[in-house]
Amino acid sequence: MLYVVFYFQVHQPVRLRHVGVLDVGKNSNLFDDKLNGEVLRKVAEKCYLPTNRLLLDLIKKHEGRFQVSFSITGTAIEQFKLYSPETLDSFKELVDTGCVEILGETYYHSLAALYDTNEFLDQVALHRQLMKDEFGVQPCTFRNTELIYQDRISDLVYEIEGFTTILTEGVDRILQWRSPLFAYKNYAKRINLLLKYYKLSDDIAFRFSNRDWPEYPLTVDKFVNWIDHLTLDETQGRNLFLNLFMDYETFGEHQWAETGIFDFMMHFPAEVLKREHLAFTTPSQTQSLANYQQESLSFPDPVSWADEQRDLSAWVGNDMQTNAIETYWELLHKIKAKGDPELLRIARLLSTSDHFYYMCTKYFQDGDVHKYFSPYDSPDQAYIYFINALADLEERLH
Amino acid sequence: MKVLMFTWEFPPLISGGLAMACYGMVKALLALGIKIDLVLPTRELVYFPLREVSDVDTLPTVFLDPVQQKEYTRHSFQTVQERMEYIGVTDSPETYYQLQDMRQLFEKVHTEFHSVEYENMDEQELWDTMTANLVGEEDLIQKVQEFTHRAQRFASELDYNLIHAHDWLTYPSGMLARKISGKPLVVHIHATEFDRAGGPGDDRIHKIEHSGMMYADRVMAVSQYTAQMIVSRYRIDTGKIRIVHNAFTVEGDEEDLSVKKRIFKDVMVLFLGRITIQKGPDYYLDVAERVLKTHPNTRFIMAGTGDMARKLLRRSAQLKLKNRFLFTGFLNRKQVEQILRAADIYVLPSVSEPFGISPLEAMAFGITSIISKQSGVSEVVNHAFKIDYWDVDLMADTINHLIENPELRHKMGVDGMKEVNLIQWSEAAEKVRKVYSEVLSAFLKSNT
Repeated sequence: MLYVVFYFQVHQPVRLRHVGVLDVGKNSNLFDDKLNGEVLRKVAEKCYLPTNRLLLDLIKKHEGRFQVSFSITGTAIEQFKLYSPETLDSFKELVDTGCVEILGETYYHSLAALYDTNEFLDQVALHRQLMKDEFGVQPCTFRNTELIYQDRISDLVYEIEGFTTILTEGVDRILQWRSPLFAYKNYAKRINLLLKYYKLSDDIAFRFSNRDWPEYPLTVDKFVNWIDHLTLDETQGRNLFLNLFMDYETFGEHQWAETGIFDFMMHFPAEVLKREHLAFTTPSQTQSLANYQQESLSFPDPVSWADEQRDLSAWVGNDMQTNAIETYWELLHKIKAKGDPELLRIARLLSTSDHFYYMCTKYFQDGDVHKYFSPYDSPDQAYIYFINALADLEERLH
Repeated sequence: MKVLMFTWEFPPLISGGLAMACYGMVKALLALGIKIDLVLPTRELVYFPLREVSDVDTLPTVFLDPVQQKEYTRHSFQTVQERMEYIGVTDSPETYYQLQDMRQLFEKVHTEFHSVEYENMDEQELWDTMTANLVGEEDLIQKVQEFTHRAQRFASELDYNLIHAHDWLTYPSGMLARKISGKPLVVHIHATEFDRAGGPGDDRIHKIEHSGMMYADRVMAVSQYTAQMIVSRYRIDTGKIRIVHNAFTVEGDEEDLSVKKRIFKDVMVLFLGRITIQKGPDYYLDVAERVLKTHPNTRFIMAGTGDMARKLLRRSAQLKLKNRFLFTGFLNRKQVEQILRAADIYVLPSVSEPFGISPLEAMAFGITSIISKQSGVSEVVNHAFKIDYWDVDLMADTINHLIENPELRHKMGVDGMKEVNLIQWSEAAEKVRKVYSEVLSAFLKSNT
C-alpha cells in the first residue's frame, strides 16, 4: 500500500508595526493590529473558511477513509480569536470528525530549538496546553518550525513525554540513494521520522498555477497517476508513505481559487481511493503501518523546508539576521529572569521566525517568495523595526 | 541698496544647510534695510522681491510675464503653501524643459548685450570654460542649464546694484547677470565640490566653481577652512576672499531646549545629518564599535538618510552592535527636536565641512558636542571637543570620558549652550554688508 499523508501548516505571525527610535521607551503597542487583523480576515475568507468547509465535506463523504493533519501555531489561534472566531470553530469541527490529527510545535513558531533549549521546551509545552484547551487533544507527532530538524532536536523532543513521530524535510543530501517514501527512525532509533516528498508537495504548493511549468496544468488524473507510479518500485510489499507537507494557505491564498486549486482538492481523494493500493493516513498511524525494520537517519546539521538550500539561510543567512537573532535570544534570557509575564508575552511574539525571514536578502527566485510574504518594503526596514523593538523591550526591563 | 540674489535653496524649497544659511542671512540683511530680489529654481518664471524682515516667511511673488502676473494677483490663496504650489516651489526643483546648447545661449547673450569684443582674453577663457563644462545629461546639470537660461531675463529686466550668487549651481547665472548688467558680482561658497564628494569629485563642477570665483568681484567663504581650500585648490586671489561665518538662531525659548526628554536610560550619542561620505558616518560607526567595547550599554543613534545608510546598517549588523546602534530614517523638524532633546553627546565626524550648522543646533539644546577639526564651525565655538575626523581612537576615548564623567558632560553642555546663544546672524549680515559696500565703491570708482 501507499498511504498519502497530508500535513498542512497553519500559521500567522503577529507582525510588528514600523517601530522607530522615537517610539522607544514609550510603552507603546509594538504590533500592527490593523494590518494583522486585515491579513487574518483576508486569509480566513480566501483560504481557511472555504478549505475547511471543503475538507469537512470530503471527510464526511469518504466516511473515514480521507484523513489529514494540521499544525496550528499559537499566534494563529490567538489571532483567530481576535479577528475570526468562526475560523477557529471550523477547525474544531474538523478535529471532531476524528479524521484529523493535530500536531505539536512551538507556540510562537520560533527558532528556539536552535538557540535556547529551555525556551524551546516551554514553548512546546505552551502549545501542547493550547491544543488541549482548544481541541481536547494531546499531539503525539511533532513538527518543528519550518520543518527545521537535526539529531539533537530529536533528542529534545524525545524527552517530552508523548511524542513518537517527527516530521521533517526529505533533504537529498541526507537521503542520498534512499527514498523519502519509507518511514525512518531518528539517529538514536527512538523516534519515528517522516520525510516530506518535496517534489510532489511543491507541485501543488508552488507550481500548481505556474504556466511556465511543463506539466501545467496539473490535473487530478495526472497527479494520481504519478503517485501510482511511485508504487511500482516497491516489490516486497512494504507500505509506503507519500508525505505531502505544505502551508495550508496554499489553498486559496498562495494559489488563488481561480487557479482551480479547490477543484483539484475536491476530486483528489476520490481519485486516490478509487485505486486499491492507495489510501490516506495521518502521521501518528504510520509507525504501526511500517511493516518493516525502519532504517535510522542521521541529520548532523540542521535542515529545513525553505528555499532551494533547505537549510537555515532563510532566517540566519546574513549579518542583519544574525545580529537580530543573537540580540533577541540574549535579551529574552534577561526578560525571563525578570519574571514580568506581560513583558515575556510580548518578547515571545518576537521569537516568531517570520520576523527574521523578512530580513532575508537572497534575491534569487527564493527572494521573490520572501518578498511576497513580507509586510515591509525591504529587508533593511524589517531589520530596523525589529532592532528598535528590541531596544524598546530592553528599556522596559529597567 | 538692492541685491539680485540667486540661490538654489530657500525654505520651503529644500531645507538643507544652504537653505537655512540663506534664510538666516537674508532675514538679517533685510533688517539692515538691504532690499533683495530673490531668484529660486521655481517652476513658474517668478522672483521674490523681499523688502521687510517678515517677507522671508511669506515670500511675496512677482511673475515676469505681465499676463501671468495679472492672473496671479486675481488668484486668492488660503495658505502660503497653496501659493507656493501655484508658483511651483517644491521640495526639489524639477526640470521643465530641455536646453540644446549652453554655448549658443552665451553667444547670443554676448552679441546682444556686448557688440564689442570681450574685455580681454582671460574673460573669454572663463566664459568658454564655464559654457564648455555646463553640459551633461544628468538631471541636475539640465536644471542648472535651465536656471541659467532664465537668469538672463531677471538680469536684464530687474533693477539692482549688485549680484549675489550662492554655490556653483547659480554661478553661471551670476556670471550671466554680471555680463548683461555690468554690475558687480559676489559669489558665496557654502561648499565646494571637494567637500561634497569627499574626494576629487566632478571635474565639470570644479571648473564651474573656478570660473565663477575668478569672474566674481568678491568671494565670500563661510569659514577660514573654506577660504584656505579656495586658495589652495582653486588658486583664487586672497585679496578677493572675505570670510563670513554662518550663524544660528535658536527658535523658541532657551530654557525650554535644555530640558531633557530621555528615550534611553543609558547615555545616548547622536549623529544627525545626511548619511553621505562628506559627513563621515563610517567614522561614527567605528567610534561606536570602540566605545561599546568599554561601555556596552551606550546607545548610538544615526539620524538622517543618505546614500550610505544601507551600507552602514549592514555593517553595524556585521559588527554585531546588537540593539545599541540604531537608525531613525528620515526625521521631520519636530522629530529632529525630539531626538535632540534625548541626546547626551553629539558627534560631527565630517571629513570636510565648510561650515556645519548642525552642531550649533545641538549645542543650543545643551548637548556636549564633538566636532571634526575639518570644519568651519570649529572656528566659531570653544566649548566643544575638536578632533580630527580620522582620529576614531581619540573620539572614542573622549566619549568614554564623557560617559564616565556626567558632571563634566553637563557643564560642557551648559557652557556650549551659552556660547551658541551669543552667535547672531546680525553679525554675519553686518560683514556681508561691508563686502557689498566694498564692491559698490570699487564699481563706482571704476565708472567715473
